[in-house]
Formats: sequence, structure tokens, C-alpha cells
Amino acid sequence: MTTARALPTTPAGPGHAGPSPARPAGVGTAYRWEITKLAALVRTRAALAAALVLPPLVVLVLNGQTPPVDTLYGRYVHDSGYAVPLLLLGFATQFVYPLLTSLVAGDIFASEDHFGTWKTVLTRSVSRSQVFWAKTLAASTFAVVLLGVLATSSIVSSLLLVGHQPLTGLTGQTIAPGRALGLVAAAWATDLPPLIGFTALAILLSVVSRNPAVGVVGPVVIGFVMSLVGSVGGIGLLRPALLTTPLESWHGLFTDPSFHGVIWQGVAVSAVWTAVCLFLAYSSLRRRDITGG
Amino acid sequence: MCARRPALPWGVPAFIVTSCRLPSVAGVTDQLAVRIEGLTKRYGSLTAVDGIDIAVAEGEVYGVLGPNGAGKTTVLRMLFGLIRPDAGVLEVFGRSWEQNGTDTLAGVAGFIESPKFYPYLTGRKNLQLLAGLDGGAARERIDEVLDVVDLTGRDRDKVGGYSFGMRQRLGVAASLLRDPRLLVLDEPANGLDPAGIRDMRALVHRLADSGLTVLLSSHDMAEVEEICDNVTIMKTGSVVYHGTISALRAQAPPQAHLLRTTDDAAAARLAAGAEGLSVATAEGQLAVRGTQDAIDAYVRTLALAGIAPRSLTLGEAPLEALFFMLTEASPDSPPHGTRTDQEALS
Ligand SMILES: Nc1ncnc2c1ncn2[C@@H]1O[C@H](COP(=O)(O)OP(=O)(O)O)[C@@H](O)[C@H]1O
Ligand SMILES: [Mg+2]
Repeated sequence: MTTARALPTTPAGPGHAGPSPARPAGVGTAYRWEITKLAALVRTRAALAAALVLPPLVVLVLNGQTPPVDTLYGRYVHDSGYAVPLLLLGFATQFVYPLLTSLVAGDIFASEDHFGTWKTVLTRSVSRSQVFWAKTLAASTFAVVLLGVLATSSIVSSLLLVGHQPLTGLTGQTIAPGRALGLVAAAWATDLPPLIGFTALAILLSVVSRNPAVGVVGPVVIGFVMSLVGSVGGIGLLRPALLTTPLESWHGLFTDPSFHGVIWQGVAVSAVWTAVCLFLAYSSLRRRDITGG
Repeated sequence: MCARRPALPWGVPAFIVTSCRLPSVAGVTDQLAVRIEGLTKRYGSLTAVDGIDIAVAEGEVYGVLGPNGAGKTTVLRMLFGLIRPDAGVLEVFGRSWEQNGTDTLAGVAGFIESPKFYPYLTGRKNLQLLAGLDGGAARERIDEVLDVVDLTGRDRDKVGGYSFGMRQRLGVAASLLRDPRLLVLDEPANGLDPAGIRDMRALVHRLADSGLTVLLSSHDMAEVEEICDNVTIMKTGSVVYHGTISALRAQAPPQAHLLRTTDDAAAARLAAGAEGLSVATAEGQLAVRGTQDAIDAYVRTLALAGIAPRSLTLGEAPLEALFFMLTEASPDSPPHGTRTDQEALS
């Protein structure tokens, strides 16, 4: 069809072979497009830029100050480049993770309500389940990339600015630089399961509230309440079930002898949180009437 | 099959419906583009769609007409699988959501209310995204469909900066990308300026001429009359008429003359018993219907009785008038949610 304004439609006569083949797009295509949409959002790029730039800035500031002795690994920040990433890890744990991951996960479903685009997407050849998993994968990808950038930036900048001296362990033992690097990287990796847990929590709030603000702020508030609850005594049974508890499981890597039980317990707790949140979010999205937009 | 009712004096508020099943539909149910039977949707205690039947044959341009709140959008949302019916059958080219899931929409495209896009992406990027979700093959046709809706040249601007009319046209472009056999448009002219409405109607005309089946909802009788072959008229969730536009036209009341006189009450009394004439009081004036001869005679009678006409104008178009009679609430009309309207059909 080369004529200007010619209609691109095939005449639907008796000879029309049938409906245009709706070759299912699948989760893969939907996922790629979620990533494209995320990449087009200023917020996503700003969060990644912050994860890249903030750690070196913190290292610089810490370098010019008396060490924050009352914080875990605070007293060693001038002594070893391996101490700073651990200090940052303790800080990220409390406030930064829920916020950074929910920036995307808390918005990725609710923004379709916000823009009224559910009907646009769901009237194509893609099912609700496919869209659900594509969005969930995209939000998780963002969380993983964010953690990677944050960890790499923290470790590299402090090794460059402070140096790779041996690290003092939590039981006073000395850890050689090579082994310290592996342990610091492992410590950051232990945050991945709870981070995915927070991502799932943000997804749940995003789906159920249909409101991007609730999706983004909700997990931060819940994370904050969990760390408060976790810090008071007398909640022996409840404490391991909190999503913030696994964020501290890395401590066991830096004792002598080291203990890994808490780490696996943290993985299990995060997995349960993730599964429950995703199940509830999935059922809610599958069931609901799309009446907005 | 065809419920016929005696002709009623026009202007009687409780208008009773005559309805015909589409002759083209009988016996060719396997070729229906859309088959809807007993479709019902409730929101809490409100029955938004109350057991309606619609049959759209392939190749026809079908109108679903009704005032705001009649349930048109709700029907189309169910067709697209966006909301789930509480009862009834809904098939598109013989496929249903229960049996076929997303495949139900193979060969179907359109939009519900005003089309929505990602405002932070360009028009072209939005179309690429949607083509991707359709399997990607349509990507080569993006230039073509942009041309059809006259958006070439603006496709690299962000949709956030588009006017309402441009978004509406992008909605049509996004639908055409799917190379549909059935195009479903929910009040496509809504919110457009007069030029936009003219262009949108011309576009639907051209699409229909290309052989596409079109299911169009509207609250505007003139639009449906201009574009559609068949129509279902809805009122508060129920069907009050379905049949061809020409059958509807045949039933429309003759166009009324609106008359004001020095003494309307006396003028109305004078009309009683006049051959071929009906006079009703409507909104402070008299609606006079009848043959030209009868009206001429009536005006002469008024003059002889010392009643002077102050104004005599033409009332609304016949189909328009019929539409209002069918859909406007009147004290005699059944309350929302009963099946009386439906029963009147059979
Ligand atoms: N999400 C909803 N919740 C409750 N009532 C609704 C909802 N959507 C529509 N309705 C009601 O259903 C009826 C039909 O609405 P709709 O299908 O939008 O009518 P139309 O498109 O003919 O204007 C209206 O009374 C409307 O208020
Ligand atoms: Mg509507």
C-alpha cells in the first residue's frame, strides 16, 4: 500500500483467511518493553545515578571527619577500605533499600492505573499473567542492578580512597585483604533476598492501592516500622519473621567462628515474604475489574 | 420473531417499543462477529447491564446507542475482557474469554472511552510498544497507520504534549496496527471539536467501506444514523430497541412543528378531534404533528377562533425525537433493573 492515506486493513470478506494471527507476545517481549519504559523514566535513571555517586561522596565526607564510633564498623573507617562498605551496608539496610526498590516496584503497576493504560495494554495480545510476571521481573531486575551498582560503587570507591588494609573482624580477629574483599561482597549479596522481599511488598501495595504514592512510600514506612519493632526487646518469636532482620544476617560472616545459619534463615524468611506478597498481588490483579482509564 | 405493536399517537410519553431481530442474523449465527446473549453486569446494587442481547454480523457497522450511563462502555469493557460479566454469553468470532483467554481478541481492536498512552513516550514509541505486545509483526506498519490518522510528522513528539483529538487519532492508529476484522470504538467522537468529529466520522466511514466490521457506541443519534446499518438502543442497562436504522426511521414520529399562540390551552382544545392531527403540550409550547393539509387547516381554525400564532418552528429531527422518547425517563417507564423493557421486546 503506497497510496497516501490508503487503509492498511485487509478487507474482511468471505475470502478473508481469518483473524490476523495473534502470535502471543509472551513474558519476554512484555519484559523487554517494561525495561524500555523504565529506562525512559527520569526517576529510574536518577536512582541509579544516586546509587553510583552517593557512596564515593559518603567515603569522602567520612575521610575528613572523626570516625562515627557508635556505628558498626564506624570506628575502623580510617583504618581499612573494607570497613566503609560495611558501614554503608548497615546504613542502606535501614532506610535506603525500601525506598530505592519501591521507586520502581511501587510504581510499576500503579502507574498503569495513574495513566489509565491498563486497558491499552490488556486489549493487545498479552494476558494479565504475562503482564504481571513481566512487571515483576522488571522491578526485580531494577532491584538487582541497583544493589550491584551500590555495592560496586561503595567497595571500589572506598578501596581507592582509603586503601585495602586488613580488616578487623567483629570478634577482634584480623581478616586479610583478599579474604576481606570476598566477605564484603558476600555481605552485600546477603541483602539481595530481603531486597527482593521489599520489591514484592512494593508490588503488592502498588497493585492493591492502584496509587503510585502508596506503592512508593508504603514499603519505606513498613520497613521503618519493622526496624523499630526489631530493635525493641521481648519479641523473640516475631523478630526472625521481620523482613528487616535478614538485612543484618551478614554480621555472622565477620565473626570467628563465622555462623551462616542466620543467613539461610534470612533467605527463607525473605522467600516467604516474596511468595506471599506476589501471590496476593497476582490474585488481586487477575480478579479485578479494569474500570478506570 | 418480530413483536409488532399498534401505532401509537405520537407524543404519548410512555412509548412502547417495537423490535425486530435482525433478518441478516437469523441462520448465520456461525458467522457472527459478536454474539452477546443475556449479558449482565452488576456493580453492587446497580445493574449496569441487564441481560442484553446483541448480534453483530461480519462486515456490518453496528451502533450501540444510548444516553450517558446506559451501559455502553460496560458492554464493551466486557467484550475486551477488562471486566467480568456476572451472567450471559459473550462470543467474538465464536471465541469466548472462558474458553480462549487472550486469543478471544485475535482480529479485534479498538478502544474504550478515550484512548490512553504513556505520556512520557513519543507517539511512535507507544505504537512500537503496542506492536511488540502484539507479537512485533505490526511494527513495519507504523508509518502506514500514522499516515491514515494524519499523525505523520508529530509521531516523534511525546504523547504528553498531544491534544485530545491527536490522542483519539493515535488510538485509532493503535487499533489499526492490529489489522483487525472487528473494530470496536467507544464514543470515538466524544470530546472532539466539530472538525474533529467530521474527520472521525469520515475515517470510520472509510474503514467500514474497506470491509471492516465496526461496533461503535454513541450517545448521538445523528452519528449512528450516518454511520451504522444496525443499532441497539440502550437505556439504564436494558435494550429498548434493536433493528435496522431504516426500520427505526419508519417508526419515527413525523417531525413536529412547535407552535406558540396567544392562548395555547384553547389552541390545544381546538385540535381535539381534528383529522390526521396530533397536538401535545411540550415545554411551554405545542408540538403539532400531522400532514401538511391538516396543519394548514388547523392554523386557519385558530385564526377563526381569534387565536393568533406567535411562532411556528420545526422541532427536532424525527429519529432524534424517537431516540429521546425511547431513552428519556418517564413516570410510566419501568424502574431501573427490572426486565420489563426486555419483556416488551419479545
Ligand atoms: N466502576 C464502576 N463502579 C460502579 N458503577 C459503575 C462503574 N462503572 C460504571 N458504573 C455505572 O454503570 C452504569 C453504566 O455505565 P457506562 O457503561 O459507563 O455507561 P455509558 O458508557 O453508556 O455512558 C452507570 O450507571 C455507571 O454509573
Ligand atoms: Mg461510556
